[in-house]
Amino acid sequence: MKLFNLILIVAASLASAATANAATRPHYGGTLRVAIQGSPQSVDPTASDSAGFRSLKQLVFETLVKLDGRGRLQPLLATSWQVEPGNQRWRFQVRNGVIFSDGIPLDPASVAASLRTANPEWKVFALGDLVMIETSSPVPNLAAELALPRNSISRRGESALIGTGPFTVAQWDTAKQHLTLQANDQYWGGRPFIDSVEADLGKNDRDQLMLMDLGKSDLIEIAPEDIRRAQGGNRVVMASQPSELLALFFARNAQSDDEIHLRNALGMSIDSAALNSVVFQAAGEPGGALLPNWLSGYAFVYPPGGGGTRLRASHSVTWTLSYDSADPVARIAADRILLNAKDVGITLQVVNSENADIRLVKLAVPSADAETSLSELARELQLPAPTFSNSTISGLYSAESSLLQSHRVIPLIHLRTAVALRTNVHGLKLLLDGSWQLENVWLSSENP
Amino acid sequence: MNGAIYNSPNLQMKLHSSRLRWALCLCILFSQLSFAADWHDPISQLATQITAATGPSVVALEINNHSSISSAEIEEIRREITSSLAASGVRVWQPDQAAANIKLTLSENLQDYVWVAEIQPGTNDAKVILVSTPRPYIAPVGQNAPAITIRATTLASQTDPILDVAVVENTPPRVVVLGRTAVTIQEFANQRWSVVQSLPISSPTPLPRDARGRIFLRKDRLFDAYLPGLGCHSTNSNPIAMSCAPSEDPWPIQSQGLSAFFSPARNFFTGALVPGIGKQNSAPPFYSAAAIPRANYSLWIFAGLDGQVHLLDGINQQVLNRIHWGSDVAAVHPACRSDSLVLADAPESEPAESIQAFEFADREPSVVSPKLTLNGRVTALWSTPGGDSAIAVYRNASTGNYETLQLNLDCGR
Repeated sequence: MKLFNLILIVAASLASAATANAATRPHYGGTLRVAIQGSPQSVDPTASDSAGFRSLKQLVFETLVKLDGRGRLQPLLATSWQVEPGNQRWRFQVRNGVIFSDGIPLDPASVAASLRTANPEWKVFALGDLVMIETSSPVPNLAAELALPRNSISRRGESALIGTGPFTVAQWDTAKQHLTLQANDQYWGGRPFIDSVEADLGKNDRDQLMLMDLGKSDLIEIAPEDIRRAQGGNRVVMASQPSELLALFFARNAQSDDEIHLRNALGMSIDSAALNSVVFQAAGEPGGALLPNWLSGYAFVYPPGGGGTRLRASHSVTWTLSYDSADPVARIAADRILLNAKDVGITLQVVNSENADIRLVKLAVPSADAETSLSELARELQLPAPTFSNSTISGLYSAESSLLQSHRVIPLIHLRTAVALRTNVHGLKLLLDGSWQLENVWLSSENP
Repeated sequence: MNGAIYNSPNLQMKLHSSRLRWALCLCILFSQLSFAADWHDPISQLATQITAATGPSVVALEINNHSSISSAEIEEIRREITSSLAASGVRVWQPDQAAANIKLTLSENLQDYVWVAEIQPGTNDAKVILVSTPRPYIAPVGQNAPAITIRATTLASQTDPILDVAVVENTPPRVVVLGRTAVTIQEFANQRWSVVQSLPISSPTPLPRDARGRIFLRKDRLFDAYLPGLGCHSTNSNPIAMSCAPSEDPWPIQSQGLSAFFSPARNFFTGALVPGIGKQNSAPPFYSAAAIPRANYSLWIFAGLDGQVHLLDGINQQVLNRIHWGSDVAAVHPACRSDSLVLADAPESEPAESIQAFEFADREPSVVSPKLTLNGRVTALWSTPGGDSAIAVYRNASTGNYETLQLNLDCGR
């Protein structure tokens, strides 16, 4: 027994050595009041939304699997999965005892129907307790792809989509831009601690801060440039890893070497470091990579523009540039980009049109799985799907380099997303994609 | 309630010998360093790929660290890379005499260390080489100062939540683990815990979030388990069988013959007590309770939902306004003392999760032990039926696993 004793005490010493925050046991009850900028027209799991609204949707809809804080697959509505050699045929075991919020049990047929709608190119069908997915070509990361919100499992109810998540949509008033979510008492993972979520949508940054200062909101979004300013008072500010890519996207392929030269000149003219430090108050990581460094580990290989080397445009050129004028981040970044471009002889003309030569886009890093993220970014930018020669870090790097060498996209900076919450809000976690994990939130009295 | 079958720990772990203490320290140190020192594979891969890119030549090597690798290890890595390159004909030398410059950046992503070598061969285009190796979690080491010492013995660990553990035997170690989805019987053999039998818990309704539960060993069967809205009973057969049924029976609280009703869809006791404490048959809703036997009565300490510590003695109820503990308390009677002490976890205001022992000389607690600091939130803290130890469960913040500790109190360390 001596060896056993020694092992035990070593393990106990290690267990007692490190530290983690103390926490009281969660309280049940209460309403979480949220204010966000986005104001979508529907609660559709397949639509792309801001981090805030995406977070609310994740309370209603769930995926077959999820990725943990290290990008590893974890079960959710599927308890296990297998892939056959060749990565074209997948089997998912559907969790028993799960019901949609209208009381209808989740079964492989409903899972298959939902996935078929989201992925018409896949062959998806139920087989006993399993859901089978067959693809026409190998998809090694299919399981990680199923963790994306667009692959959430839903069922068409009488008037809206219905999910299996810890909350249900109790009221959705598009006129008043107000969403009420109610705790799902029958949720398979255990009823949430809070009773409901009241969300005010379409609130700009100033309105959100005012609602919090007036005590009418418990959780709001904070713009990257306001992260430092928002600290203090009766609120806590939490910021994510750099999880939103700000980039310039060209509408069409370069038509000549001269145009490639011009695009390179534009990319090298933009001082992303200054953009980060001056405009965004150091709330991001400037760089020329599509994937942030925390996800790839090699983003520094693609340096940001604005360094010592600059290319002069070979001749004067005017391109049109569009961006989401309702997005203050895009607006202030565009002002800076216009000035930088002018310095190297490129004129950018801001237009409010989808047909602009260049779009300034802000894209959430879609997944904690690097290959899935790169594929999704390419998909959203309508670039050719990246090809991964193998599953090593070199294969990822080659695929990202190929996308960048298309000269269709100029990454500028990865921005953090941030929230402010009142001090009585507990259990909130910011996920790697910048969205908020709200399902474990609980509320204490205002001054614990 | 009975405490049959339960044996007090036989794991004395008396480290009187300073030699053994040193061995222990070295063992801990080694366990911390062994992960970090294993750079052989990435160095070998990197050297092979660099050699393939440059051929036998003279190169300059610049190393930048953007990772969590310590500066001491960087020097070791530099030496080993230089040595590996030399073995394959690539000499590392001054930049002004080198045919190629290699900028090696040691970086990391979510799961791996990522090493990026940017090779600039003269005026030609740069070549990028990447290798990766898994990145482990490493927990820092600390220590406790002795007074009354909380002695922690690790029991079972698993990824699924552990609600309670009952020790069946100490030799060989054998425990019954009440999980959220199953009761498992586990044995320690070959230096690890193994599941001997798993008994799935079937519940007609989902268990609440932050589910809690208790498991008690019995004389006529192996165990009874209490879960929110559910009662489970095992057989004494081999293999063991278990049946569960909806139940709102009160849960036994410590070994004082007191039971309390647990809210079937929440994570707390309602406050209704059976048969009650003296003339008091209810307490404020509470998360946990501990009893300190006195000559003519027992002083009960409740960790209330309101964040306050409540005292009940059968006649009076008192709130200890100045005391701030976490949600979990448990009483332990050390062999070396005549009175029982209370273990309590840290309040939310504390920067680190910990468990500490307190004595109640009268009605005010005073600290009698250093803190046992834990790398994760305490999710359960229960007195064992014998009252001479407690079971603590915490969720390891590094691994995400639920870890079980048997806590004993030692005097005079």
